[in-house]
Amino acid sequence: MKKSMKLGAIALASTLSLSVIAFATPANAETCPRKATVTMLGTIKPEIQDQFLATVAEYNKSQNCYTVKSVPGDRKLTFLQNVTPMYAAKNAPTIMYTLQEIPDMADKVLDLKTTRLARLVSKSLLASGNVNGRQVGVPSTAEAFGLLYNKKVLDKAGVDPSKITTRAELEAAFKKVEAAGKKPLHFSAIWWSLGAHFTNIFHTNVGKTKEARLQGLDDLVAGKANLANNGTFKNWVATMDLLKKYNAGKVNLTDTEYDASIANLAGGDFGFMFQGNWTEPNLITASKGDDFGIMPLPISNNAKDYGNDSIPVGVPGYFMIDAQQSSKWQQKGAIDFLTWLYTSPAGQKRVAGPVEEGGMSFIPVYKGFKIEPKTYMAKEISKFASAGKTLDWMNSYYPAGLQEEVGKVSMQQYFTDKISAAELAKAIENAWKGKPKTWRGEAA
Amino acid sequence: MTRTRSIKKFMKFAGVPLAIFIIVLVVPFVNGFYYSFTDWDGFKATKLVGFANYTESFEDPRFWSTLKFTALFVVVSLILVNAVAFGLALIVTSKLKSKNFLRTFFFVPNLIGGVILGVIWQFIFNSALVALAEKYDWEMFKESWLQDTNKAFWALIIVTIWQSSGYMMIVYITGLISIENDVIEASQIDGASPVRTLFSIKIPLMAQAFTIALFLTLRSGFMAYDVNVALTGGGPFRTTELISLHIFEDAFAEGDFGTGQAKAVIMFLVVALAALVQVSISKRYEVQR
Repeated sequence: MKKSMKLGAIALASTLSLSVIAFATPANAETCPRKATVTMLGTIKPEIQDQFLATVAEYNKSQNCYTVKSVPGDRKLTFLQNVTPMYAAKNAPTIMYTLQEIPDMADKVLDLKTTRLARLVSKSLLASGNVNGRQVGVPSTAEAFGLLYNKKVLDKAGVDPSKITTRAELEAAFKKVEAAGKKPLHFSAIWWSLGAHFTNIFHTNVGKTKEARLQGLDDLVAGKANLANNGTFKNWVATMDLLKKYNAGKVNLTDTEYDASIANLAGGDFGFMFQGNWTEPNLITASKGDDFGIMPLPISNNAKDYGNDSIPVGVPGYFMIDAQQSSKWQQKGAIDFLTWLYTSPAGQKRVAGPVEEGGMSFIPVYKGFKIEPKTYMAKEISKFASAGKTLDWMNSYYPAGLQEEVGKVSMQQYFTDKISAAELAKAIENAWKGKPKTWRGEAA
Repeated sequence: MTRTRSIKKFMKFAGVPLAIFIIVLVVPFVNGFYYSFTDWDGFKATKLVGFANYTESFEDPRFWSTLKFTALFVVVSLILVNAVAFGLALIVTSKLKSKNFLRTFFFVPNLIGGVILGVIWQFIFNSALVALAEKYDWEMFKESWLQDTNKAFWALIIVTIWQSSGYMMIVYITGLISIENDVIEASQIDGASPVRTLFSIKIPLMAQAFTIALFLTLRSGFMAYDVNVALTGGGPFRTTELISLHIFEDAFAEGDFGTGQAKAVIMFLVVALAALVQVSISKRYEVQR
């Protein structure tokens, strides 16, 4: 009994003294008597994992106040599947990175509105990280998706992608590639590609203004969308039918098709694939330096229709900083790391520099970047962006779990001819019905 | 006096295991039961919602289809795993020269973790068999078995048999060698054929082994998760989700922790009922010696 009291007293005394140190440190930040470990869940993206870990190592060496450590999540699981057990175990990561689950996390993370980083980004790119006026996340980069092509193959087949503005012209291009002895396209059945990106082509083409597009989601939630009679939906399905018809990839419903499609396009046997610019580093590496471009996916036969000349560009994810279980010191370290990453010359070189030199080849979204990616696709995306030919990523607003439901079930079923277009319309309507309208400020 | 002493004695020996049992099993169970009546979102529960989670669970059509799929999986895997395991046990207790080698050989798959096993078999079904089929023109394997609900079901069954029959084989071996030789010799002198000996002497005398093996396979059938995740991941079209994976997806992917927890409680009741029925039936066949 006595012994335990003594131990308790020692423990109490030591925590008291520790908290004195903790209070003392921020005032005298240069000396950092205690090194804080700042954990981050994941490595932004698996594609640039090595580059990111090297970046973290460089940051850790550059200062002696914080140690940033990436904790690997389980990649087969979603963000929430990874993070909820960590919160339950009182072991939450300080830095988290996600997109659609931002509303679920909003009340657990810091408001970053007054940070230097938030002031360096345009308002539109901050939008999806803003929940009820609190800036709960800051963006990593901008990404684009659409029809990627192998420039060599298209040049040989005599196809000019900038001239393709309708579905009919796209079909003609596929035929030309076929005539040149190559396979037209790898349209992969990967659930997240179908569930998030391909469905976005519909949701973003639904209206010319942001409000009209959000109204489209409102209607789905209210159960009065009637997709089967929606012109945009019909065009979108017809486009999917066209891609299915010319698809020369071997359909596989598990995730193995991702690597296969990259190998196919890089190998020079395929003309197109439906994917995003995050595959560019892998394509360049696999083809030993060929050029790969990106073009819009036209979904109607009228070249002037909204969206036919634009590609969806958006922020793939936002950094959030835990406010519940991380110490003030860890939170400070998290902000310091992200600020270093996007504003210091060394960090910028890591962010936007070429993959071969250990960079992540990200398209910069923060002002004051001295380095720009110089790859073919990155330059094409900048051209689309500066011409204003970009579409919204409506998939940022998908409720948690929706893209799994739609992608793994209805889209893959339609892809493999298990259900009709009318059934697909019904399935998408059912998946949305009654979901929380986070884009209107409703709680997730 | 004696009573407090016996309690003291009990705590001395069983205190630590009991505490562990309470902490890792009883407390989470009670907690989970409580959460199934709240609006828990994985982070916090703000209010009690009565039976709302349960009614929502029963209204979910995928919950029913998953239950049906799980029931089918349990029945088929229960029968096949035990049939194969019993067959293997007969082989390795016979007078074969290689029986010791075979024992190890059949048991090894059980030492491989479910997830690794699932990944290996996913590669076999998705790539290896498909590549071989294209080379040698085997119609059956040209399309990956994991693309089709029925074939994916059999893929799950095959991998489950491959993984767990070795373990059940050990249970049956213990049963088989516990039978006294004189009983078997007596039957042979009476002129019983080997088949007759098997059904009239061996099986009745080792009924306890069946009770244990059936209970274990029943339980692992209902609880199957790792092979399911790694092999099919619930695909195609989320039609091969077993109940554990379904609950996990419901709770963690969609953030519906309340309904996920309610479904877990329902599943507990189903498993408990099935196990009780199974044990009480098989107990009847056990012979007291």
